[in-house]
Amino acid sequence: MTHHDVVVVGTGVAGLTAALRLAEDGARVIVLAKGVGATHLSPVTVDVLGYDPERVARPLEAVQRLIEQRPDHPYALVGPEGIRAAVAWFKERFADGPLAPYAYTGDVERNMLLPTAVGALRPSAVVPETMAGGEVGDGDVCVVGFRALKDFHPLLLTDNLNRLGAVSARGLELDLTPEGRADINALGFARAFDDPGFRGQLTIRLADRLRGDERVALPAVLGIADPHHAWADLQERLGRPVFEVPTLPPSVPGMRVFATLRERLRRAGGRVVLNNVVTGADRAAGRVTAVRARVGLRDVVYGADWVVAATGGFASGGLELDSRWVGHETALGLPVSGIPAVGSDRFRADYFDSHPMGRAGVAVDGDQRPVDATGAQVFENVLVAGATLAGAEPWREKSGDGLSLATGHRAAEIILAESGARAGAAAAGIGG
Amino acid sequence: MALGDGNDVLGGLMRDSLDHCVKCTICETFCPVSNVTPLFPGPKYVGPQAERFRVPDEQSPDGSLDYCSGCGICTQVCPQGVHIAEINTQARAKLRERTGFKLRDRLVARPDVLGRLGTPAAPVANWTLRNPVVRGVAERMLGVDRRAAVPPFAGRTFQAWAQRHRSPPAARRVAYFHGCGANWYEPDSGRRTVELLEHVGCQVDVPRGQSCCGLPLQSNGMFDAARKYVRAMARALAPAARSGVDIVGTSTSCTLMLKREAREILELDDDDLRVVSDHVYDICEYLLMLHDRGELRTDFAPLPLTVTYHAPCQQQGHGVGKPALDLMALVPELRVIENDATCCGVAGTYGLKSEKYEIAMDVGAGLFRQIAEAAPDLAVCDSETCRWHIEKATGVEVVHPIEILHRAAPLG
Amino acid sequence: MTALRADVLVIGGGATGAAAAWDAALRGFDVVLVDRADLAEGTSGRFHGLLHSGGRYVVKDRLAAEECVAENVILRRVIPHCIEDTGGLFVTTPDDDPAYADRFLQGCEETELPAEEIPVAEALRAERRLNPRISRAIRVPDASIDIWKTVWSLATGAAEHGARILTYHKVIDLHSADGAVTGARVRHEQTGEELDIEAGFTLNASGAWAAQIVRMAGIEGIGVIPGKGIMIAMNHRLVNTVINRCTMPADGDILVPIRTISAIGTTDIRAADPDEIPVTQDEVDQMLDDGDRLVPGLRQARALRVWAGARPLFQDERSGPAAADTRDVSRTHAVVDHAERDGVRGLLTMSGGKLTTMRLMAQDLVDAMCRQLGTERPSRTEHERPPGAEDGEYMRLGSRLRRREETLQDEQLICECELIGRGRLEEAMRNSGTANLDDIRRRLRLGMGPCQGGFCIYRATGIEHAIERLDGAEASASLLSFLRERWKGVWPILYGDQLRQARLDDWIFQGLLDVEHLPEGAPVASTEEPAPV
Repeated sequence: MTHHDVVVVGTGVAGLTAALRLAEDGARVIVLAKGVGATHLSPVTVDVLGYDPERVARPLEAVQRLIEQRPDHPYALVGPEGIRAAVAWFKERFADGPLAPYAYTGDVERNMLLPTAVGALRPSAVVPETMAGGEVGDGDVCVVGFRALKDFHPLLLTDNLNRLGAVSARGLELDLTPEGRADINALGFARAFDDPGFRGQLTIRLADRLRGDERVALPAVLGIADPHHAWADLQERLGRPVFEVPTLPPSVPGMRVFATLRERLRRAGGRVVLNNVVTGADRAAGRVTAVRARVGLRDVVYGADWVVAATGGFASGGLELDSRWVGHETALGLPVSGIPAVGSDRFRADYFDSHPMGRAGVAVDGDQRPVDATGAQVFENVLVAGATLAGAEPWREKSGDGLSLATGHRAAEIILAESGARAGAAAAGIGG
Repeated sequence: MALGDGNDVLGGLMRDSLDHCVKCTICETFCPVSNVTPLFPGPKYVGPQAERFRVPDEQSPDGSLDYCSGCGICTQVCPQGVHIAEINTQARAKLRERTGFKLRDRLVARPDVLGRLGTPAAPVANWTLRNPVVRGVAERMLGVDRRAAVPPFAGRTFQAWAQRHRSPPAARRVAYFHGCGANWYEPDSGRRTVELLEHVGCQVDVPRGQSCCGLPLQSNGMFDAARKYVRAMARALAPAARSGVDIVGTSTSCTLMLKREAREILELDDDDLRVVSDHVYDICEYLLMLHDRGELRTDFAPLPLTVTYHAPCQQQGHGVGKPALDLMALVPELRVIENDATCCGVAGTYGLKSEKYEIAMDVGAGLFRQIAEAAPDLAVCDSETCRWHIEKATGVEVVHPIEILHRAAPLG
Repeated sequence: MTALRADVLVIGGGATGAAAAWDAALRGFDVVLVDRADLAEGTSGRFHGLLHSGGRYVVKDRLAAEECVAENVILRRVIPHCIEDTGGLFVTTPDDDPAYADRFLQGCEETELPAEEIPVAEALRAERRLNPRISRAIRVPDASIDIWKTVWSLATGAAEHGARILTYHKVIDLHSADGAVTGARVRHEQTGEELDIEAGFTLNASGAWAAQIVRMAGIEGIGVIPGKGIMIAMNHRLVNTVINRCTMPADGDILVPIRTISAIGTTDIRAADPDEIPVTQDEVDQMLDDGDRLVPGLRQARALRVWAGARPLFQDERSGPAAADTRDVSRTHAVVDHAERDGVRGLLTMSGGKLTTMRLMAQDLVDAMCRQLGTERPSRTEHERPPGAEDGEYMRLGSRLRRREETLQDEQLICECELIGRGRLEEAMRNSGTANLDDIRRRLRLGMGPCQGGFCIYRATGIEHAIERLDGAEASASLLSFLRERWKGVWPILYGDQLRQARLDDWIFQGLLDVEHLPEGAPVASTEEPAPV
C-alpha cells in the first residue's frame, strides 16, 4: 500500500488548490479523482459574492455581513481574511506558471460588472486579464462572434446589454472559421487564436468594421497555449482594448487554470491520478487511515495521514441523492445535511425559487472537519472543501470559485499548521 | 453501491453507463482524434449520445464511429464515470459487422499469426516489408499506409529463449506475460526484463501457451475471435494466478486488456480470466509497488543521460499514475523530461491504416515536436506500438522504461 | 368581428380531432380545426406512446380488444412513418398469476390477435434487462407511436385538402339557433383577438374538456372524469420491445420504448379537473417500484421527466351510476348524438376511446355527422396515407443518427442529445406559426434529451433571435419560459444522474449566464402541469 501525507480527492479548484498549497510546503500529496474537474466547465472567474440577494459591489464587506447573519455559510470558515489570502495566493501561482505572464487581475474588495454570454451582467471580483476589459461603463462595445461557434451569440448579447442601458453595444457575426469548419467548439477556436496567422485574418475582417473607440468583445477563446500573447497581440493589431466573455463549456479560461495548477503541482512533486473512484476509507479510532478507490475492476488502498474531500457538489457527483431520496457523500460516506426528510418537498415549483434542498452538503466544524447531525466530529483527519460543503447555493449567489478557492486554501493551511504542530510535538517528545 | 461511482448499472453493461453523461464536453476537449480532424465527431457524440439511438441487434448507422482510435482517454477524464471508450468499441464491433471486416484488419489484428509467418524467414520478410514497391502495393491492395512503422521480425522468439532459461530460485515469484511484441519483435527486450526482475530478487516463470491477448482483434471489432484468444491466455496464466503468483507484463496495453478491457468490452465472465485479471500488473506498476513496500533494491548506478518519457494512453488506462517516472527518479544523474501529450497517434493498429495514418500523425505531432525540442539521448515509452511509431516519426531511439533500469542496474 | 365560414368545425386538436379533420377533409368537407393550445397538448400528448396490439383488453374488455386488433393493422398501413415496429411482450412476473397467461392466450385467439408464446430464455436473450425471473412470455404486435408526428401529419394532410388548422384558439362560446349549433366564438390565446366561426356542423373532439364545451350549448348531465395517469421517461431504452405485465390491467404495468427513451406507466386516479393533475411523490415512488418489477435495478437508471395525462372517461348521468374505479369504465368509445339526447342538432361529441382507435373514432364521428346531414360520403382513411407516409416505411430509432452522418461536416448540431441540426431548427422556426420555443420543442424534441436543454436552449434562443423571429426581450422571455416549463416535469423526479444534470444546468444558466438577472421581459404564460417527453 502506498502512503502519502495527504490524499486529496477531487481535481476541481478546491482540490487542486489544497494539493498545490500542501505540496509547495513539502507535503507528499496525491490527488485522486474519477476524472477531470469542474475547471473545464466553469470560467473560473473568482466570484467572491455577487448577490446577497441584492447585487453586491463590495464583496468582502458583504461576506462579513453574510457570515454574521448566517454562521452556517461556508464562508464563515474562512472569513474575509481567508478569502483575501487565498486569492492573493492564487494570483501569485500564475506569475511563474506555465502560461506566464497570463495573470488574474482585480481586487477582492470590489466587484466588477461583466457581461455574460446572454447579455446579463454578473459581478466578479478577480478575473483573468483577458476578461477585465469588459467592465461595464468603460465605453462602447462591439461584440464579435463566429457563426461556427454555436455557443456564443453576439446579437442576443448586445440586444440585452442595450436594454440594460449600462453600455452601448453592437454585435457582429463573422464567417471566419479555422479550417473552414462549420461546427467547432471553444477549444478549437482557442487553438486558432494561438496562431498569429488566424489573428491576422481576424484583424483583416474586423479592421474597417470597427468604429471610433469601441472596445472589442470576443467569446472566451483567446488562446489556450499562450493566452497572454494572443490577447496582447490582438489588442495591438486592432489598436483598441479587447476582452473575452465566458460562455458555455468547454471553458478555455478554466482549462488555463487547470493547466497552471496541475503543472505547478507536478513541479512541486504532487501527483494526480485519474480514473480512481474513491469509494470509502479505512478507519481506526476516529481517524481515516487509508482511502479506498475503485480503479477499473480492482480496489486500491492509499494510506494517508490526512484526507481532503473536495469532490464537488451534486453537479460533480461528490454528493448524490438516490431514488429513495436519501443523500450521500460518495467518496467517504460522510453524513449529508440539508436534505428534507422523505415526504417533504426538496424543490419548489418555480425554477428560480430558492429550493429547500439548495444548500445541502456536508456540514463541518470550524476547522472544516465533517460533523454528523449532532455536531460531533466524524473524522479528525478529514477536511472538506469546495462545493461539497453545506450551507450555500453558490450558483445563485455567485460565489462558486471564491468558495472553492478559499476553503481549499484554508484546508491546506489547517493541515500544515497541525502537521507542523504535531511534528514539533513529536520532535519534542510530546503527545501522540 | 453508490450511484455514479463509475460502477456499472443494471448488471454490468457498459452501455448503461451512458446514463451518467451530462454532456459536459470534457471528453471532447481531451480526445486526440476529434481535436485534429472533423471526420470524427468526438467521444461524447459517438459514445453516450449516439448509443441512445442504437438498437442492439441492428447495425449502427454512423460510420464516423470508425474514426475512434480506441485510445481510452475519454473514459479516463470523464468526471461522471461514463465508460465512453468501451461503449465506442462495442458499437464499432457492431458497425464492422455491417460493413464487413477488411482483409487488412484481419491481418494486422493477428500479430501472432504474422509473427509465426514472418519469423522463420525473417530477413526476407523484413526486406519485403521495408521494400517501397511492396509497401506501395500493400497500401493500394490492403490499405496499410506505406509510411506506417512496421517493426522488423527478430527471426527468433522470446519463448524459445525462455524455454531454455532457468530462473534462479528466489523468495518472490512472478510470472512474465511477454506479449506478441516481445515474442516476435523484441525478444532481447524480453530477456532484459527477465534479467532485471531476477536482479531485483524475483524468480521469473514464463508460462507456456501464451499467445496474443486479443486486443487488436477487439479494437478491430472481431469480438468472437478476440474472445478465443483471451480464453486461451487466461488458461495459460491462470495456474500462476491461482497459486498466488503475480503476473507482470511489459506491454502496457496487453496487461490492460487482461486486467479489465476483456471483461468490460468482450463481456467475458470466465473463472480463469477473473483470477488472472486480479493478478496482472503493468511491470512499472509492479516494481513501484515493491518499492513502496521497501522491497525493491534501488542501488542503481548513475546513468548520465537525458531521456523523455511519454505515458501511452493505455498505460494511463491502468489508473496508477506514471510509475515509470518514479522508478526512473531512482536512477542517479538521469534527467527525465516528462512529455505533455495525450496520445502518440498510433493507437495499436489504427495508425497503420491508410485512411487513418495522417490523422495519427497529426495526433502525435505535438509529442514529436516536444521530443525533437528536447533532443534526448533516448525516448522512453511503455507500449511497443507507440515506440515504433514515435521512433519512425522522430528518428530518436525509443525504449521501454525497463531498459533504463536494466542499464542502470547495471546489467550490461 | 371577423368571421370564418366552414362546413365543419372540429373542436380539439388532439389525436381524435386531427384524425377527424383529416377524415372530413378527405370526404370533401371544408374544415376548420381549433385548439386552445398547440396540437396534442391535451391527453394525446401525455400518454405512453403505445400503439396497442389489443392484448391489454383481451380478457377484460373484448370489444376494445377487437377494435385495437383491427386498428393496429390499419394504422400500420396508413401512418407507418409515425410508428416504430417494436413488437411487444406480455410477461408473467413473480407477482403475477401464471394462469392468467392462459386466459390471455385464449382471449387473443378469440379476438384474432396474433399472439405467440415464446420460451422465456428467448425473451431474456432479446431483452437483456428484463426481469430474469419471469415465468412466461408472449409476443404480440404492440408498437410505439410518435403522437406529435401523427397529429401534425394528419393536420398537414387535412390542410392540403383545404382545412384550416387554428392552434391557440380557445372556444369561449358556442352559437346556437333553432335547436342547432351553428358554430363557435373563439379567442386567440396570445393576441386576445376574438373570431366567430360559422359552421354547418360542430364536432366536439375535446376529450377531457368535452363537458365544458357542451355546457356552452346548454347541454347538461354529461361529465368527464379525468383519469389521471403518470408516466416517467427513463433516459435511454432499457428495452426495445414494449413490455407489458401479463395480468389484469394494473398500475405501472407497461414499459414502452419511444424514440430514445423508455416510458414506464401508468396510474389511474380519479382527478377533479383535467387542468389540475399534479404529480405526487407517492405516485413517483410507486411507479419506480412498478418499473423495478419489469426491469430489476430500474432505480439505478436515470429518470428524465415525469408527467401526467388525464384520460377522458365519460359519465352520462342518464345512462347509469358512475363506475367506482375509473379503470372499470370501458375503454371503447361512443358518439354522443346530441340531436337524440338533447334535441340539439349540428353537434356531436366523442366520448371515451383510446389513442390506438383514434382513426375509428374519427370515422364514427364523421359518419354520424353524415347521417345527420343526410349525405352519403364514405370515409377514405382506412387506406389513404397522410403526408410523410409515402414510402411506407416505419419509423426507425436510428434515422436521425443516419441523417446526421450525411451532414456531419456541413451543418452545426444544435440539440446534441436529440441530434437536431441548425438547418432543421431554422426551418421549423420559420415555418411554424409560432416563435414559442416550447412549440418547437414538441415538434422537434428540442431539449428533450438528457441535458434537458442545458446546452441547446441558449443556442436555440440565440438562433431564433438572429433569424429575427424574436427581439431581445422576447428571446429572453422565451428562454426563461422554457426553463420554467422544463422544470415542472423534472423536479418531482430529480435524483441520481438527473439531479446531477439539473445542478450542472443551474451552474450554466445561473452561475455562468446569470439569466435570472436578464433585463426584465414578461415570461410567457404557461399551464401548471408538467409537460410530457
